[in-house]
Amino acid sequence: MKKLVALLTAAVLCVAGLTACGSGDTPANADSQAAGGRPVLVVGTNAEFPPFEYVGDNGEPDGFDVALIKAVADKMGMDVQMENMEFGSLVSAIGTKIDAAIAGMSITEERLLEVDFSDEYYEAVQFVVVPAGSEIAAAADLENKTIGVQLGTTGHTIADESITGADVKTYNKALDAVNDLINGRVDLVIIDKNPAEVFEEQFSGQVEIIDGAQFGFEPEFYAIALPKGSEMVEKVNAALAELKADGTFDALVAEYIQ
Amino acid sequence: MEQSELIRKITAAFLTGDRWMLYLKGLGITMQVAVMAAVLGVIIGTVAAFMKISVRKNGKKTILAHIANIYIDIIRGTPSVLQVMIMYFAILASSKNGVLIAGLSFGINSGAYVAEIIRAGILAVDKGQTEAGRSLGLSNFQTMCSIVIPQAFKNVLPPLVNEFIVLLKETAIVGYVGLSDLTRVANQIASKTYDFFTPMIGAAVIYFVIIKILTKLLDRLERRMRRSDNR
Repeated sequence: MKKLVALLTAAVLCVAGLTACGSGDTPANADSQAAGGRPVLVVGTNAEFPPFEYVGDNGEPDGFDVALIKAVADKMGMDVQMENMEFGSLVSAIGTKIDAAIAGMSITEERLLEVDFSDEYYEAVQFVVVPAGSEIAAAADLENKTIGVQLGTTGHTIADESITGADVKTYNKALDAVNDLINGRVDLVIIDKNPAEVFEEQFSGQVEIIDGAQFGFEPEFYAIALPKGSEMVEKVNAALAELKADGTFDALVAEYIQ
Repeated sequence: MEQSELIRKITAAFLTGDRWMLYLKGLGITMQVAVMAAVLGVIIGTVAAFMKISVRKNGKKTILAHIANIYIDIIRGTPSVLQVMIMYFAILASSKNGVLIAGLSFGINSGAYVAEIIRAGILAVDKGQTEAGRSLGLSNFQTMCSIVIPQAFKNVLPPLVNEFIVLLKETAIVGYVGLSDLTRVANQIASKTYDFFTPMIGAAVIYFVIIKILTKLLDRLERRMRRSDNR
């Protein structure tokens, strides 16, 4: 028994020690210098979310969000280095592994506890993807269904918290969830409007998409996530406003989204 | 880190909304997959081991031995995460039972390793034992059953336990195919609380405790079986 107590104490101390290291102030990457002399902004994304971000043919993340953050950083006189990571780990990596995240990320109360957001740059709503010919049409139809979502997305939160009796299956990629929808393993997938439209096109005849407004889902706003209390928020907002004023923003929307 | 901060994180990771229930459910999935795979693995492995050691009268390998060799080569030559994904997304794409698919996939995987363990266990029994059995007038089959296998069993038990422990931990990859096993649950909670440290350590401790208990139980069984040994 004594041994056990000693062992447990040791374990707790170890954990506490590790925690202390884990929470230490890791220097932000923002001031690291690129070869060309401009400071580098390390930006995290999850390149599984077309058309906002996807892995381009050269193996680097591409898409609307990537183009936008590059334009924003350019206005701030910085270069961008993209880091492709799991969506679910983006928020907790901000301030340590990455300086900012742009990943079609909606502003939510939970996320606001951990990070600050720039001004919103895009309005989105969650869509429901169902197999072709499905009878799902109203909020009550969503109850007690098996729902596929991408881990850590707003769709995940909706499925977990707003739908009664939902059996939620989480996937690393939205595509995996849609794949399982086609194979009949989940009844519906909740995902943002634009990728839903991409999937509808890709799997035409096999899936249908329904506007989440029909189920009472609230509209959401995408924004750039930044470390809590960061002075970058104002600079990013100023750059965003400039891009909107000089037409660059609309050009990007035309190029990537419409 | 301040103490209150630590308490807040522990509360968020385990207590809020009865989240500890999720870990238990996840552990349930992990155990289901691991046990199913272990049973299947031992069955497949035993069959494959005997196939592999079978020889023709002229001393050459049989067709069965070649088949077993190919099976073991393929399974050992590909990553298990890929095997699970192939099984889930391609071969059994029409099945809805993810736990069953994962159990099947890991069972086939484990079978290859178990086959080698059992083969080694049988080969480790001295040739003189077989010769003695044959001299006493037992048939080949009788010698195998009443002389070789009982001795081989003691040889293979420790590596089999080891294989089960590896298997139990390896099931942590089933999150790739949408199953909410223990590792996945920790990940889900982390992505909700934005704190990775506490849920991950929590899951690690659960794995550790389960495996520790298993090791203890099997240690006892092993000692029980060695009681008849005069050494």
